[in-house]
Amino acid sequence: MSCPKTDHLLQEYFADDLAPFAREEIEKHLATCAHCSEELGALMQTQSSLRQWQEQRVPHWDRRMNLFPAEGKPQSVIARFFSGLQWVPTAASFAMLAILLLNVSVVSGDQGFSIAFGAAAKNSLNLQAELAALQSQQQSEMQALIARVEDRLDSNNVRLLQAVMEQTQQTTSENFEQMYSYFEQQRLLDLQDMRVGYEQLVNSDYETIRSLQQLANFVSYEGSSR
Amino acid sequence: MSPIEDDDALIAAALNGSAFAWEKLVKRFEGRVYNLGLRLTGNPTDAMDLMQEVFIGVYRNLHRFRGDAKFSSWLFRIAHNKAVDMNRRKRLLMSKSKSATLEEGDVFETIPGVPRDEPENRLGEVQLNRQILGMLTRLPMDQRLVVELKVFQSLTFDEIAVMQEISENTAKTRFYTALKKLKDIAEEHHVLS
Ligand SMILES: [Zn+2]
Repeated sequence: MSCPKTDHLLQEYFADDLAPFAREEIEKHLATCAHCSEELGALMQTQSSLRQWQEQRVPHWDRRMNLFPAEGKPQSVIARFFSGLQWVPTAASFAMLAILLLNVSVVSGDQGFSIAFGAAAKNSLNLQAELAALQSQQQSEMQALIARVEDRLDSNNVRLLQAVMEQTQQTTSENFEQMYSYFEQQRLLDLQDMRVGYEQLVNSDYETIRSLQQLANFVSYEGSSR
Repeated sequence: MSPIEDDDALIAAALNGSAFAWEKLVKRFEGRVYNLGLRLTGNPTDAMDLMQEVFIGVYRNLHRFRGDAKFSSWLFRIAHNKAVDMNRRKRLLMSKSKSATLEEGDVFETIPGVPRDEPENRLGEVQLNRQILGMLTRLPMDQRLVVELKVFQSLTFDEIAVMQEISENTAKTRFYTALKKLKDIAEEHHVLS
């Protein structure tokens, strides 16, 4: 035995905002119609059996998914400095890098340059030679770093042109998303590159500074003992 | 709730490049997304792929997230769209590899997480999930999605209509049709067993 009202009534019964009088109407019908009330019971049963779903645990996976630059030294000041710069345009962060480099390690003055390591700066011949060597080493490293960044920016521009040309032919949100993710990826790579370069530079400078300082201490010790 | 426990604080920190905050944010939602993926795709491999796509999408669009919506609703809208995309891709792949026309529900293989010859006592709760997956995977994707959103995500038909770009009435009808079909499938199985 079937009922012509079943689908219409039961579909309404599952609505979110069933008005009280509508619910009364439906329940009045259900009380008199075995088919409809049986059908509703079965549907409710089906729905509640779905709700028996047991949450399954997520298998182990890499949540960072390479979206973040690798952090070898998570506590390092440099790492935090750069991770904080992720959303700053590459050019700006590069300029900051340059300023930082020049301020931290080398202070250029009227008579060439000097390295600032507190009051311990000495003017010995040995030191001058060491400093000159450091200067040329640092300049070439800096130039290599700049060249690497410029290379990437150039190829970025070429690819940007290509992307824009494709874009004019087919503008879809997917294209935009691809382009966007591409540039984001490039920027992260740039930053990673610069960070590695910067860290190498800083580490080598600290090494040099430490040995220069030892040298200076030695020289002053020699001087006072004489 | 301390400020760092707040979704918004984690989002801000993740946007600022904190991988730690990002992981914390992901951990908070990955379970729900993974289980949604299991129910929509019917198997752990696709569920895992879907979950990763969802979180990559979330990461890339994080700067566009406006605080006026709830983060979880925003995230599950992305999950919904990624599931639709993934289903479309699968259909495309399958229609290219096989010229035969496929019924919509067959796109994701029905491979429940546990092999059939697993000892009964180890199954327990997973057995229940397998039965549910067995039913859900027989629905076409649009119906499966409505069931997911209504039963498991507890959305209103109004919210479902917005997400699926259909009328509220269509959402209601679609859900009712899906539920009836699930009921028939369940009855079929009870008769068989
Ligand atoms: Zn009736």
